[in-house]
Amino acid sequence: MDEHDLISRSKSGDVEAFNLLVEQYQRLVYNLALRMLGSAEAAEDASQDTFLSVYRAIGGFRGGSFKSWVLRIAANSCHDKLRVARRYRVVSLDTLMLDPDDLPESNNNESPEDYALRRELGRFLSEGLKHLPEDQRLVVVLSDVQGLSYEEVAQVAGCSLGTVKSRLNRGRTRLRDFLLQREELLPPKFRLNK
Amino acid sequence: MFRGKREPLCRKVRDMLSEYIDNRLVSEKRSLVERHVETCEDCSKELESLRMTVQLLHRVPEVAVPRSFMVPLPKHRRERAFGQASMRWLRPATAVVAIALVALLMGDFLHAFENNAGVNRGTDHETLSGSQSVLSPTDIEKLTMVSVPGVLGQMSLATAKAVGYTDYTIVSSFVISQPLTPPNLGVAGGEGPAGPDGTDGSATAVPGVNWPLRQTEIGLGAAVFVLLALIIYARRQIRKKVRAK
Repeated sequence: MDEHDLISRSKSGDVEAFNLLVEQYQRLVYNLALRMLGSAEAAEDASQDTFLSVYRAIGGFRGGSFKSWVLRIAANSCHDKLRVARRYRVVSLDTLMLDPDDLPESNNNESPEDYALRRELGRFLSEGLKHLPEDQRLVVVLSDVQGLSYEEVAQVAGCSLGTVKSRLNRGRTRLRDFLLQREELLPPKFRLNK
Repeated sequence: MFRGKREPLCRKVRDMLSEYIDNRLVSEKRSLVERHVETCEDCSKELESLRMTVQLLHRVPEVAVPRSFMVPLPKHRRERAFGQASMRWLRPATAVVAIALVALLMGDFLHAFENNAGVNRGTDHETLSGSQSVLSPTDIEKLTMVSVPGVLGQMSLATAKAVGYTDYTIVSSFVISQPLTPPNLGVAGGEGPAGPDGTDGSATAVPGVNWPLRQTEIGLGAAVFVLLALIIYARRQIRKKVRAK
């Protein structure tokens, strides 16, 4: 059954069809939330909120890219969480470091050294992403971590293509500056000035 | 880092570097960037460091989801999907049988079936029926109470006979479903079916309705047990299917 059929069935209230869509997108949504919020717990909450919102709103989905639509809801959910965190200071933004439990398992082709390096890199870049303004972070994560096209990023972020380009350029530059300032902390293999 | 006084062309090129890396520039602008970075060392370094940053971001590991974010099936949908057909009759049937059993037991405890109590209760009935074989006529005489004119109180029929009283009246006797053989019952002097005082042995036996009360209770209890077992089995099947989904 293709995505279009699953969406049609979900619109008519078929929960099982909807859960097949959840299976398809939950990894993407969770990773976006994790990079945006930096805490596994907050990312779980945001992901759950996202899929509940998608379930409630799917009747109003008018076509186009379902992936972009879901990610846009996820991005809004992350904005809400960050706004609440800023207002009540319940979650410190310093928790943007990846939790050790979040780290992915090593794949079979990867040596233990490479796996350790990749873990270290993930942790370091997460720390760098924390230093970006929220709008730039969203665009950088969507484009460079999740591999979305500029057009898709514009749909998710709800802005023009020109805004995406400018946010991406500024976000990358700021992250690059962060990495250069702390280059000694980066594994030698990944240093910018070799 | 890479800051300071910049030429206007450098600033223009640096604004395009991100798009250049992503191969999003039209050929004219692309050529402009390529020509410039060949001659400008700062912009060339800027390009390389940005390119490296993007490559690092591409290597950020994807994290596995810690749990599923599926939306739970509504309860009524789960029941409709699995075994509602069986549940539709199992539950009311169990309720009806259980209510019947409770009513029967309560009636039994409150002696609403008094007439049947001695007659038809399974074990009692068997005992008394079997009294013809289990209880000897002597035992029956011991258990039958009589009153003798001129003697205060009551005594057993056996005692009355032993003392030699022949004029006595049976006060209490067994209630049995079938009258014992008159000689065995030994009423009114033990001479025959009718004693000298006219007491009839068969009069002590209450004719019962043949309704096996105890058996009915046991049967209903077993039915409730079987129905409950079926409900538990059906629910387990439902849970298994939900987990499998």
